[in-house]
Amino acid sequence: MTSAPKRILMAKTGLDGHWRGPTIVARALRDAGFEVIMVGMVTADEVVRAAIDEDVDLVGLNIGGHVEVAERAIAAIRAARPEVPIFCGGVVPPWAKKRLEEKGVEVFPPGSQLPEIVEAARRLTGWQAA
Amino acid sequence: MNHDSRPQRWNSVSGIPLKSFYSAEDIPAEHRRVMDASPGAAPFHRGAYPTGYRTKAWRIFQLSGFGKPEDENARIKFLLANGETGFLMEHDRNTGDHCYNVDHPDVLARREDVGLTGAVMQSVRDIAICMDGLPIESTYGHAGGAVVQHAPFALAGYWTVAKRRGIDLRTLAGTGQSDFFLTYLGCVTKQQIPTPAGLRFNADIMEFCSKHLPRWVPVSIAGYNGADSGLNAYQELGALFANAVEYLDEIKRRGSMPMEEAARGCGGVSFRMSMDIIEEACKLRAARLMWTQLLERRYGITNPKVANLRIHCVTAGSMMTWQQPLNNIVRGTLMALAGVLGGVQSLGVSGYDEALSIPSEHAHQMSVRIQQVLQNETNLCAVTDPLGGSYYVETLTAQLVERAWQFFEEIEQQGGFLATLDSGWLHARAAENQHAEFMAQDSGERVVVGVTDFREDISPYAVDGFMGVDDAFEVALARLEEVRRTRGERRAGDALRELERVCRGSENIMPAMMEALDADVTLGEVGDVWRDVFGDWNTPIQT
Repeated sequence: MTSAPKRILMAKTGLDGHWRGPTIVARALRDAGFEVIMVGMVTADEVVRAAIDEDVDLVGLNIGGHVEVAERAIAAIRAARPEVPIFCGGVVPPWAKKRLEEKGVEVFPPGSQLPEIVEAARRLTGWQAA
Repeated sequence: MNHDSRPQRWNSVSGIPLKSFYSAEDIPAEHRRVMDASPGAAPFHRGAYPTGYRTKAWRIFQLSGFGKPEDENARIKFLLANGETGFLMEHDRNTGDHCYNVDHPDVLARREDVGLTGAVMQSVRDIAICMDGLPIESTYGHAGGAVVQHAPFALAGYWTVAKRRGIDLRTLAGTGQSDFFLTYLGCVTKQQIPTPAGLRFNADIMEFCSKHLPRWVPVSIAGYNGADSGLNAYQELGALFANAVEYLDEIKRRGSMPMEEAARGCGGVSFRMSMDIIEEACKLRAARLMWTQLLERRYGITNPKVANLRIHCVTAGSMMTWQQPLNNIVRGTLMALAGVLGGVQSLGVSGYDEALSIPSEHAHQMSVRIQQVLQNETNLCAVTDPLGGSYYVETLTAQLVERAWQFFEEIEQQGGFLATLDSGWLHARAAENQHAEFMAQDSGERVVVGVTDFREDISPYAVDGFMGVDDAFEVALARLEEVRRTRGERRAGDALRELERVCRGSENIMPAMMEALDADVTLGEVGDVWRDVFGDWNTPIQT
């Protein structure tokens, strides 16, 4: 018998509406058995509220904009729910990717393959569909 | 990985099965009857103009913008100095697309993002800074306003600056965009006017241009934004004409302007050029043919000055890779070549750093240089429709036309283009294709050099992405406060109330917008009127 599927919150930190990346990733995560909750464009406060309300096991941030905006969301989540891991994807320049990785956040830039992202979700939640 | 062991389906990217070679008998009989028409003659698949690029090379037309209005102004001047032949003003997406001022809570929460994707322009004063010294009377300009609710502000701002310079608007050439594909499919905003209000705005802009700016292309339907969201080549075609029909039927219903002028007004469109370069070139030939058919069959229009679709293309941003970014210079060149082979009137090439950031100065210069090489070193400008008569190209053109009309019919059966946006039907079509594309990468069927395969990179040139500027927010906030402090409050208030009154009725909104911009009404105040009067679109997708 397997445990209940882990829950992943997917959110966009910016106000730009490029939905292609997060929707593809969400579908791949659902296909792998995860429960995915998409909350669209949210502020740091809103993503924390959603993470608590939805009682998620992992947060995926689509960062279309500046790295400071993502960092604000990451700091807010860590303050409220330090046990919840975070991963990121989107149009991220290499220097910003490095900066986020130094904070312990995995980053998937454009061109990342879906199996890699699904594998990271399994590793970060310690869960895999039977 | 051994390429020979991969499953191979030999389809076009849109899924049309391909033969290993083509012969005369492959060309459908219906297409054979029209295919020999000359360029510049109906049905125009061979080209919009008889002498093609001999008379006029395509316009080098690059998206540009970031930071403060003066940063964007400097970048546009840089591009013009490097040989760009038109210019395109991008407004900041956070503020522009949402019609928010920078002190809106949703913008304050992301203040570092302000100015990242275009200059912040909250009043006509900002637009004037961005346009300072730009030769708008002699150079084709794009005022920005890609998103529907933002277009009236961007256009009225540009035209107000032109008027203040003493330019007769009747002589002003340029365009905006006000594109449904971007607004309701490709880049869905957090808040947006509903589609019926968007349709009204675009019809109002078309009417206003017909009266006051006859040389302006009032709306530009951008299939690009559908295609880069996932629509394939024939879906992009079918959906684009389903969109055009919404505008033209609305104008016809109003009976307020000649249908030929309306057709001319929405006959400047944009497509995406992607990596299946023969299919993409065929798509442009198919587009011109379909426009001729549509105008004649549905509206009885045969005037060749209207029936020749003019096409702008942008190379697919989504094809640009984060890994080994210099490879993107080759991709940009190939996709640009597809556009030129298909007979574009204007072209933008994505920056090689597209997947990392907005374009650096160097990436922008390369986008211009690619086009200059094509124009000056290849002899491509000598002969119009160089692919015409190829068994393969004529067959594929005809197949795209056939499949695109089928997709058009499917949209009509769904209740029309607006209905497919409201219901999410079109988003679902795009998402299916996105998913299939990724699955093909996973299975090894689709190879992306430097990404799925051939990943070793010994390039000594680090590409680190463009950093932008870090004072866009502070300067925008200070300028907003200055406008509030120094404008004629009574006139601005009157203009805003008049705009609201017009919006609640059925008059054309653009005269009131012109007065509002001239009176220093700000972007966020205009947005508040939209939100009060029209409410918010019910987004069919969860982004």
